[in-house]
Order: sequence, then C-alpha cells, then structure tokens
Amino acid sequence: MSRLAALAVVAFFVSLPLWMTDQYFLHILIGTGIFTIAAMSLNLLLGYTGQLSLGHVAFFGIGAYTSALVSLGFDVTLFGWTVTLAPKPVWFAFLCGIVMAGLAGWFIGKVSFKVRGAYFVIVTISFAEVVRLVALNWIDLTEGPMALNNIPPVTLWLPWLGEKTFWHKTPNYYLVLVIAVIAFEIIRRLVQSRLGRSLVALRENEPLAMSVGIDVTRSLVVATIVSAAIAGAAGGLYAHYIRIVDPDVFLFIYTVTMVIMVVVGGKGTLWGPVVGGLLFGILPDFLRDMAAPEVQWIIYGVIMIVIVFFLPQGIVPAVNGWLRSLGTAVRGATAAKEDRA
Amino acid sequence: MEQFFQHVVNAQILGGTYALLGIGLTLIFGIMRVVNFTHGELYTFGAYMLFMFVMLLGVNFFVGILLAIVLGVILGALIEITLLRPIRGADIDTTMLVMIGAWIAMQNLEQLTWSGIAKSVTAPFPSEPLVVAGVSVGWDRIFVFASAIVLIVGAHALIHRTQLGKAMRATFQDRETAALMGVKINRIYTATFALGSGLAAAAGALLAPVFVVYPTMGDMAALKSFAIVILGGLGNFWGAALGGFILAFVEEFGAGYLSSGYRDAMGFLLIIIILIFRPTGIFAQKERIG
Amino acid sequence: MSNEGESLLEVERISVRFGGLIAIADLSFGVREGEIVSLIGPNGAGKTTAFNAITGYLQPASGEVRYRGRRLTGLKPNQVAGIGVVRTFQKTSLFEGNTVFDNVLIGLHRAGRQTLVGILLRLPGMREEERRLRGQAAEVLDFVGLAHRAEEYASALPYGEQRLLEIAVGLAAGPQMLLLDEPASGMNPAETAAFMKMIQQIRDRGITILLVEHDMRMVMGISDRVVVLNQGEVIAEGAPASIQRDPEVIRAYLGSGATHA
Repeated sequence: MSRLAALAVVAFFVSLPLWMTDQYFLHILIGTGIFTIAAMSLNLLLGYTGQLSLGHVAFFGIGAYTSALVSLGFDVTLFGWTVTLAPKPVWFAFLCGIVMAGLAGWFIGKVSFKVRGAYFVIVTISFAEVVRLVALNWIDLTEGPMALNNIPPVTLWLPWLGEKTFWHKTPNYYLVLVIAVIAFEIIRRLVQSRLGRSLVALRENEPLAMSVGIDVTRSLVVATIVSAAIAGAAGGLYAHYIRIVDPDVFLFIYTVTMVIMVVVGGKGTLWGPVVGGLLFGILPDFLRDMAAPEVQWIIYGVIMIVIVFFLPQGIVPAVNGWLRSLGTAVRGATAAKEDRA
Repeated sequence: MEQFFQHVVNAQILGGTYALLGIGLTLIFGIMRVVNFTHGELYTFGAYMLFMFVMLLGVNFFVGILLAIVLGVILGALIEITLLRPIRGADIDTTMLVMIGAWIAMQNLEQLTWSGIAKSVTAPFPSEPLVVAGVSVGWDRIFVFASAIVLIVGAHALIHRTQLGKAMRATFQDRETAALMGVKINRIYTATFALGSGLAAAAGALLAPVFVVYPTMGDMAALKSFAIVILGGLGNFWGAALGGFILAFVEEFGAGYLSSGYRDAMGFLLIIIILIFRPTGIFAQKERIG
Repeated sequence: MSNEGESLLEVERISVRFGGLIAIADLSFGVREGEIVSLIGPNGAGKTTAFNAITGYLQPASGEVRYRGRRLTGLKPNQVAGIGVVRTFQKTSLFEGNTVFDNVLIGLHRAGRQTLVGILLRLPGMREEERRLRGQAAEVLDFVGLAHRAEEYASALPYGEQRLLEIAVGLAAGPQMLLLDEPASGMNPAETAAFMKMIQQIRDRGITILLVEHDMRMVMGISDRVVVLNQGEVIAEGAPASIQRDPEVIRAYLGSGATHA
C-alpha cells in the first residue's frame, strides 16, 4: 500500500467523529481499534515469526490489569509481606502495563525456544489459562470476579487545551487511533529492517538462518517482547476506556478472535490484521439484529475454515494478487490496443 | 488420614476419565500431528448425547452410554473426512486454524441446540455411597472408573492386537515407510481421529451424570487433554494414561491441601514447569524431529 | 597448488553418536588457510555429520574442533557463523518464500549493525546501511551469475540455479571459511565445470574451502588435498593424485560403488 493510500485511510479515520455522530457506533469503533492493535501485535508473532502463540490474550490482560491496578493503587499481602502502592497517574500506569506485558513476553520468548511447534501452542494456551485463574482467585489483588471498578480514565496534558480527562468517547477514539498508528508504524519499521528479515528467515528455514549468523533465540525473544508490549498497550487502553477489568479478559475466545482477525485479514502482511480487525470488530454489530450471537460465531467459524481452504493467505494478499493480475491485464489490453491502432 | 484416602479415591475416578481424554488426544496428536481443538467438543457432544438418549428419549442408561460413544466415533470420522483430509499435507498452523474454526462452530451449535442452561442426567445407581474404611465413594463414580478402565484396556487391545492398530503404530513410527508398505494412510488417519474422538465422547458421557452438562464444558477438558498429552509425551499411550492420573492427583491434592480455587491451575503450572525442563514431556520415548 | 598457509581449522579426535549408532568414531584432520580441501567417502561415511559437528548443529561426544586456535565445539551454529565459518546444506536449503535478492539480503545479516532502538527511531545510519547492504547483495548475485533472477522467487528457480543461490547466500554471510556440502550434486557437466571455476575464484578471494563431494572429476580437479572418510574414520589423506591410487580408498569405494572417476 502506497504512502498516499495509507495517509488517506488515516485521514478518513481522523475525520470520522466529525461527521459520524452516532455515539454507539463510535463505541464500537473504539473497541475495534483496541482489538486491532492487539491483532497487529499477534501478527508479528503468528504471521511474521511463524510462532504458534495462542496465549496472546495473556499479554493483553496483563497490560489491562497492571495499568488498572497502578492507577487505582493497591495493597496486597503476599507470603507475609505487604506491598502498598498509592494511585499513580494514568499515563504512568499505562507505561507500567506495557512493561509488565513486555516482561511476560520475555518469559514466553525464552520458553518458546526450548519448546517448539505443537508443544509451544499448548504452553502458550496454558500460560494464559494460569494467568486467568490467578486473576480469578487472587481476590486480594484483583477483586477476582468482582472486577476492578472505577478505573480512572486517561488524563493527559495536551497543547492548547491544558490538562484534559478523557470522559467522553471522542477523545478516547482519537487516543486509540493515535496508539494504533504508532503501533502500526513500530511494526512496519521492525518488519522492514534487518531484524524483520531475521524473523522471516527463522520462520522459513531455521537451520539456514543460523548458518548465516542469525541468533534465532534472540530474534524470537525480541519479537515476542515487542509483540507483548503492544498487546499490553491495547490492554491498557481497554482498562481506561471500559473502566472495568475482570478475569474474563483472559478468556481463550479473545485470543481466537485475534487469530481470526489476523488469519482472515492476511498473516504476515502489515494491513492484514487491520482489515481483519475492522471486519470482525464491526461485523458483529451489523449482524446483531439479524442473528443471535451463537449464529454469528458459527458464521465466523465457517468463515475461518473457508478462508483457510480457499484463500489461505488471507484477504489482503488475495486482493493484492487480484489487483496485480488486473494491472497486468489492463496493461496487456492497452498495449494490444496500441498495437492495433 | 481418611481425608488422604478420600482424595486418593477421588483422584482415581477423575484420573480414569482424564486418561481417556488424554489417550484420545495423544493418538490424534501423535499419529496425525494435528492440534485438535475439537477434542473438547467431542467430550461435550458425548455428554449431550447421553442427555438426549436418557433424559429425552428414555433410552436405557447403559445403552445410552454406548450410543454416545458410537456417535462420537462417527462424528470424529466425519470431521476428519470433511475438514482434515482436504488439507492433508498443509502445515501445522493451517490445520490448527481449521480446527479452531470447527471448534467455534461446534460449540455454538451446541449452545443453539441445547441453550446455555446446564442439564443434568440421572444415573440408575443407588444414591447411598459405598463407604469403606471411612472413605465414601458414590456408585455412579465407581461405574465411571470401571468403565474408564474397560475402555482403556479396550483401546490398548485395539492398538496392539489388531491389524488396524498395527497400521496405526507403523504410521506413527514412520509415515513414509508405512505408506510404502501398503498402509492406507487416509484410512488410518480417519480411524485414528474417530477413535480419539470416541474416547473423548466416552469421557463426556461417563462424566455427564456426575457433573452437569453445559455447552462450554469441553473447554477445560480440551485444555487438560493437551496438558496430559504433554505430560505423557506425544503418541505415548501409557504416558497419556499415566498423565491423566497424575494430573487428577495433582489437582485433587492441590485443591485439597493448598487451595481449591487454583485447582485447575495446578495442572497447567505443572505442564509449564515440566516443559521448561523437559521439552519432550516426562515419558516421551521418540525423539522430536527438528 | 598447495599453500604453506597457517592452520585454520583443526578437527581433533571427534566422535559423534546417535543413540547406539556411532556415526563418527575418531576423526582428525586439518585445513590450512587458502586451501581447497575435499572430504570424500562412500555414503554414510559421516561427512555431513562431520560438517554438523564442526559448525555446531551437533555436539560431538568427544574431541574438539578449533578455528584459529579458538574452540568451536560447544558453540551454537549462529555463533560459529559469527566467527566466519559458514556451511551450506546437502539438501537444497533456501528461503523459498522469498525472492532471490531477499535470500541474499538475509544472508548479509552479519554485515548489518541495526539495533532495535535504531530501527524504531529511524536513526540516520539505518538507511545508509540498507543501501550498502542492497549494493552488496547485487554484487554477490553478479558473482554467481544470478543477477537476472533477482526478483524471482527462490522456489521458482531451476535446480542448478537454486544451488548457485545457496552459494550466494553462503558468500553473503562473509565467510573466512566455507564448508560446502555436495554443492555440485545434480549438476550437469557444463554446470559443474563452471562451478569449479567459481570455487577457485572464491578461493582466490581469500576464502578457505572445505568441500564434501561425490563428483570425482571435480574433487580431483580443484582440490589441494583430499581427506577420505569411511565409517566415521579417516582412511587416507593427501594430494588428489596419491588418493586415487590408494588401495584403502579403492576398497572402501568398491564396497559402495559410488565413483565418477
């Protein structure tokens, strides 16, 4: 996608709240944006590095919980020691969420080198489950199923406007959009760099990658940390927008949602998760009146299977392919016309 | 002390069904290298089938169990033929994604059909538990344990005493050579998936009267099955069986003596720790390739 | 043709075991700087296993491998490559989903210095480095004669050109010493002759070469020295001419019947 087209897309989304006043739809878009950021981060692991990481929701949730807890303050007793933290400003909490998620990523990255393929899938799923169960049971810290409530919204100092608290949807929308663009750009720079090449290399042919000096473990760990940190950022956004966080954020179904977004959109491409995210973020809302949620999920499941069977690369590469052959056909036709003329 | 033996007995019963789940998945996982996300759904399916036969159609309880297992086998075969065979040879993430799609579709179909309200199945056993030396065991649970043992032995016999089983083992050892020797790989794969699915359905049917039946019950079962497979090593029959019992013991004792809330987490933690130190599982015999 | 170069690679009494099977019993040989040494032997003699042991893909059960006096045994393959010892693979090994150009670009990994921070912040040196690397990639492709294929996918190349691409990727890694595992297998005589010339050109650039090959014409044609392996042990070593006449060697080969001589 050319620079111009990308800018046009961003401009479109920037302008959206100006002409689309339906608050409910704005809410849907914010949720979609948050999930899309998470999907982009998953794509870095699943698509580019080829790691079967199915515990991604763990990074999202860790980011959400950490950010929420740091902004609310907490005091908890563990093995006889009491840890107390006074509430901190939201921007600081948000960064803490990113750091904690990144740490979790580091752990998973290290483990993933020892444990490959199908085993790794299971480790990542188990990890997310363990984190969910901890969140559910460590009521002292997380309030368990009673959830963390009244999480403060984002408060930022903005030029010209001074310090503003994001109570309404519109500022949150722009916040999510800004983070989404930043995340996209981070991933793009990473992927189009030497490190990005190493990731693709280790996905395609690990022994060969090693033979030219690529440190596979290190590349994997770096990719996982970045991926986890971005997912953690998405989690933080979630925490301060929805302002309630409960252990259900760790449900496997959310990882599946992200996987569907990435795979259907096109794994290993930059725009794939964006397309997939928008599609599966907005679709449920359109289908809401037409079909029960169960039916929707059946449709998603079927879509997944159909895409894997017929468009295994996903939507974005397929469209790219069609556009390319269309371009070739058009060029061929105009050339033929010129010949005849 | 009685507490201790009570836990042991409870663990045995749970272990039996865990073993069924684990064996079913390790066969599929080991022979076909498919990350089978539908395993949990077959478990749920078995439970709902028993519910349907016994509670809605008035079929005899034991016949109902048999029917549930048979239908599980058939469903497994169907899934394999329609979803896995067409993508035979694709890489592991492709099959994994198809299985995820199937899992979502199946679970929501269950939800649509039966609604989310938990159902219960009444078993024809006396409600007075058997009490021996201060340890009480319900008759229904004794039945579960006994049936599980029978099925485990039966599955083992199938794998080690029949032509089919021989072919399955050959395929597990070396697919290419097995194919060269005339083994019809397609049929073996279908049979493996059907067998594994049947065992999962059996576990679900057996446990249906003990717990309640609800659409998402398969999720935990699936996760634990994966954990058991890892404990026991891919494709390792007795490893999975033993793994099932070990997991049950860890859960039961962990819940009993440490904290019941973290019961389910015990198993997963165990898995993660084991994999960090022994990436091929405790009992794995075969070297992993790559 | 032989050089008085300093000892570069020293393989000292390594043994490699797979379960109960002894793949390499007690292997010792050396390669001097600037040499082209060929490792030959019947199938199953342990040649690829030796490569794997030298470059860190396998750990020898005993013995040591040294490069310029420095221990190689125990290092991971990417660390071995980092020292300048690069190997190719017996079975065609490429980044199939990438273009020819990108394959070589990946191979140039060691020549790059980008850091995570530099990448994310687009620090000035980054673009300069990309340009430099791309220039180098073009050079390497030129050298092996694949410049005209740069934009094609590696999987689309005919077999002979795929093998050339493998050499290109190996060269891109900036080796001081190149270990080639049956690089000419499957090549026709014309391709083999061109390939032999290329090997010599590579050596003339200062890269020492250790070669595993079955094609005797090639082995005898370009090697300074030949090391003969059979059942995990060296059974003969020396100049090509003397090896051809060695009765032990002939006996080893008659057993398996693999000669092109």
